[in-house]
Amino acid sequence: MTRLRWWCLSPAGLLLGLLFLVPLGIVARYSFLTRGPYGGVELPYSLENYKLLADPLYLAIFVRSIGYAGLATALCVAAGFPLALFIARSGRRRSLYLALVVVPFWTSFLVRTYAWMFLLRDTGLINTALLRMGLIGEPLQLLYTPFAVILGLVYGFLPFMILPIYATLERLDPALVEAAADLGARPMDTLFRVIVPLASPGILAGSLLVFISCLGSYLTPDLLGGGKTIMIGNLVQNQFTAARDWPFGAALSLVLMATILLLLLPLLRRKEGLL
Amino acid sequence: MKRNGPAIAFYAVLAYAFLHLPLLVLGVFSFNASRFTNWEGFSLTWYREAFADGQLAEATFNSLLIGFAATALATAVGTLCAYGLWKRSSAWITTTLYLSLVTPEIVMGIALLALYQWLFRYLRLPLGMHTVILAHVMFCTAYVVTVVAARLRSYDKAQEEAAMDLGATEWQAFFRVTLPQLMPAIGSAALLVFITSFDDFVITSLVAGVDSETLPMVIYAMARKGFNPSVNAISTLITFSLAVLILLAQRLEEDPKR
Amino acid sequence: MTRRTVFLMGVAGLAGCYRPGGQRLNVFNWPEYVAPDTIPNFEREFGVRVRYGTYESLEEMLARVMTGNSGWDVAFPANYFIGPMRHLDLLAPLDHRRIPNLKNLDAPYQRPHWDPELQTCVPYMWGATGIVYQASLRPEPVAWADLWEARFRNRLTMLDDPAEVIDAALLKLGYPMNSEDPRQLAAAKREAEAQKPLLRAYVSEIVRDQLVAGELLASQLWRTTAMRAMEAAPDRLRFVYPKEGFPIYADNLVILRESKRQELAHAFINYIMRPAVAAKISETKLEATCNAAARAVSREDIRNHPILYPEEATMARAQWFEPLSGTGQRLRDRIWTEIKSS
Repeated sequence: MTRLRWWCLSPAGLLLGLLFLVPLGIVARYSFLTRGPYGGVELPYSLENYKLLADPLYLAIFVRSIGYAGLATALCVAAGFPLALFIARSGRRRSLYLALVVVPFWTSFLVRTYAWMFLLRDTGLINTALLRMGLIGEPLQLLYTPFAVILGLVYGFLPFMILPIYATLERLDPALVEAAADLGARPMDTLFRVIVPLASPGILAGSLLVFISCLGSYLTPDLLGGGKTIMIGNLVQNQFTAARDWPFGAALSLVLMATILLLLLPLLRRKEGLL
Repeated sequence: MKRNGPAIAFYAVLAYAFLHLPLLVLGVFSFNASRFTNWEGFSLTWYREAFADGQLAEATFNSLLIGFAATALATAVGTLCAYGLWKRSSAWITTTLYLSLVTPEIVMGIALLALYQWLFRYLRLPLGMHTVILAHVMFCTAYVVTVVAARLRSYDKAQEEAAMDLGATEWQAFFRVTLPQLMPAIGSAALLVFITSFDDFVITSLVAGVDSETLPMVIYAMARKGFNPSVNAISTLITFSLAVLILLAQRLEEDPKR
Repeated sequence: MTRRTVFLMGVAGLAGCYRPGGQRLNVFNWPEYVAPDTIPNFEREFGVRVRYGTYESLEEMLARVMTGNSGWDVAFPANYFIGPMRHLDLLAPLDHRRIPNLKNLDAPYQRPHWDPELQTCVPYMWGATGIVYQASLRPEPVAWADLWEARFRNRLTMLDDPAEVIDAALLKLGYPMNSEDPRQLAAAKREAEAQKPLLRAYVSEIVRDQLVAGELLASQLWRTTAMRAMEAAPDRLRFVYPKEGFPIYADNLVILRESKRQELAHAFINYIMRPAVAAKISETKLEATCNAAARAVSREDIRNHPILYPEEATMARAQWFEPLSGTGQRLRDRIWTEIKSS
C-alpha cells in the first residue's frame, strides 16, 4: 500500500519541489527586496511592496478582474456542459466529437485572437454581413469592448471546461439516468437532479481551470479590449516588463495567488477538495 | 446512455460553429492574394512563402518534440500523482498543486528563469530544449492531476478491493483494473497538456535558449504586427495535418467495446 | 613529445571535430528588423551560420540576457537601455580597430549622448513617434492637442505604451518629456484620462490594418509602422510631427559580455555598417539609418524622404527618450495603471 503510493507520488513531489517550490521561494524572496535602479532586485529587505498594495486602485482592479473571470467561467459552464453531454452521449462518435473540440486550439492563441479581431472589426465579417442584410445602418462597435473581452476569454478557455466535464460524464452510470426516468422524473429534472450533481467534480475542475486561466490572462484584454480595461494579469505582466519592477510584481503575484486560494477554499472544502 | 435529442444536437451544431468559425476564416484568408484583409482572389503565395522558410520548419519540429515529450512526462507523472492522492491524500502535494495552478504564467516564467540562472551559476546548465521541456512538464502536471482526479472521485474503490480479494497484488489492481478505466480521462488530460504545451508562449519565451525556438515564438514574431497571411497558411496547415492525424489514429483504434 | 602535448593535441583535435560546420553567431533582435538578404549574405561571405532570434519587447530581451547564460552574442537595445545594460555589466567593450566602418556613422551618432566614446554600442537606426491620419481630414491635425478634439470620438487610437501616452500628454501641456516631477505627471494623468473616452483603443502595431481600411481617423504611431501603412494606402494617409514636440529613439548594435564569439560579433557589426548593407535595411524597413554613408547610397526617394529625414526646424522639436530613475518609473507606472482603470 504505502510503497505503491510512494512510487506514485514521488515523481510529482520531486518535480513540484524542484521546479515549482524552489522558484516560488525565489519569487517570494524577491517580493521583500527593493527594485534596482535599472530593474532587477537589490537589498535591503523591506515590506514596501506589500504596503504599496494597500491601495483602493489595486483593490478595484482585483474586484473587476474577479468579476470578468467569474462571468466568463459561468458562460463556459453554460456553453460547455451541454456540449460535453452531447459528446458523452454520442456513442462511437464521441472521440471524433471530442477531437473536434480541441482541433481549433492547435492554432496559436495569438492567431486565433486575431481571427476574432478580424470577425469583430468595423469592416469585419459580422458587421459586413449585418450591413448587407440591412439589419444595421452603420457598423456596430464590437471590437475593443468588454463584450469582446468576455467572448475572447470564453472562446479561449472553453476546452478547459469541456474536457473535465466530459471525463466525468463519460463514466456516468446510465442506469442512474434510466432509474430517474422510470421513477417518473421529467428530462429536465433528471438533468438537474441526477446528471449535473454527478458531473459536479468535472464542473468544479473545469471551473477552476477556466477561472484561474481567465484571471491570469493579459493578452485578451489587451488585444480584444483594446487595452482600455486593465485586469490583474496585465498589472502583473506590466511589472515584469514595461515597469521593470520585479519586487512589486512578485508581491502582486503572491497576493493574487493567495486571493485565488481564499476564493476557492469554500468551494474546495465542500467536497473534501478536488484533488 | 440516452441518445441525443434534436435540441441538444442543434445546440452542438451551433457550438461547433462557434469553435470553428475563426479557424475557417483563417483557412479562407490563407488563400487570399492580398496581404491585407480585403479579398483579392485565390492564391497559394503564402503557402509557398511558409514552405520556403527554414526557420519555421525547425520551430515546428521543436514545438512538436517539446509537446510530445511534455505530454508523455506530464501525463505519466500527473496520473500517478492523482492515483496516489486518491489512495490517501497528502496535504502538501495537494496544496502545491493548487499553488502551481493559480500561479500566473508570467510569474512562473520569471521564477523558472531565476532558477535556471542560479543552476547555471553552479552547474553550468545552459538554456535549451531540456529547460523548456522541464518547464512545460511542471506547469502541465497539475492539469493532468485535476482531470484524472475528477474522474477518480466517481470511481468505486470496491472494484480494486474486489480484485485484491481475488488475489491481485496492489500493482496488478492498479494496472489491470483501475488504469484501463481511467483511460478516457487520461486521454482528455493528454490532449489538454498537448494543446497547452504546443501553444505556450509566455513561459517558453522566457526559458528558451538559442536552440529551442518554438512555433508560437516564431508566430508571435511574425504576427505581432497584425493579420499575417503566411501565419494563417502555417496555422491552417498545422491544424489540418494534426486533425487528419487524429482522425487516422481514431480509425485505427475504433473501440471494439462500444 | 610530452604527455601533456599529446593530450592537448587530442583536445584540439576533438574540438576541431566538434565544430565541422564552422562558427555560429546568435543575433537577438526585433522581428524582421533587417533586410531579407542581410543575414544570408553574411552567412555566405563569412562561412558561418547565424541564428536570428527575436524578442517582443526590450524588457523581454533584458530579462533573457540578464541571466548571463542566454547564449546570444549580438543584441539591438534602444538608446535608453544602453545605460541600464552597462550598469548591469552586460555589454562587452567594443574594439574599434575591428570595426573600421564606424567612420560611416553620421556625425551626431559618432558621439551619441548615451555613449559618447562608443565604448559599448554602435547606433543602428533611429525612429520617432507622431500622428498618422486620414488625408481627407479638415482641418488636418498638427499637434498632440488636436487629438483631444471631439470629432475623433471612437475613431482615434493611442499607443499601448505608458511612456508614449504620458509623454504625449506632457508635451501637450508644454512640459518636458521624461519628466519625473509628480505635479507635471499628475497634470498629464488628468489629460490622458480626459482623452480616454474619445479613444477606440490603446493599441500598437496592429493598428496599421485598421488605418489602411479607413476604420480610424487618426492614431499616435511609430514612424516605421506609419510609413508601412502609408505604403499600403499612399494617398489616403498622412504623417505629422506634432508641433509641441515629439519623441525620438535610436536602436544600437551591442555585443554581450557573455559572448564567446567576440571576433565574429565584431565582424558582424562591421558588416552591418557597410553602406550597401545598411542602405538596404533602411529601404526595406522604411526607417532612418544612423549611417551617413548608407544614406548617401540609398534609393533617391528614401535618401531625402521628408518624413524619414525631417528638416532641421522639425528636428529642433525632437526629444530623446531617456532612462528613468526607479522612483520615476514607479510613479509613472502607477499613473499608467490609474489611466487604464479610469
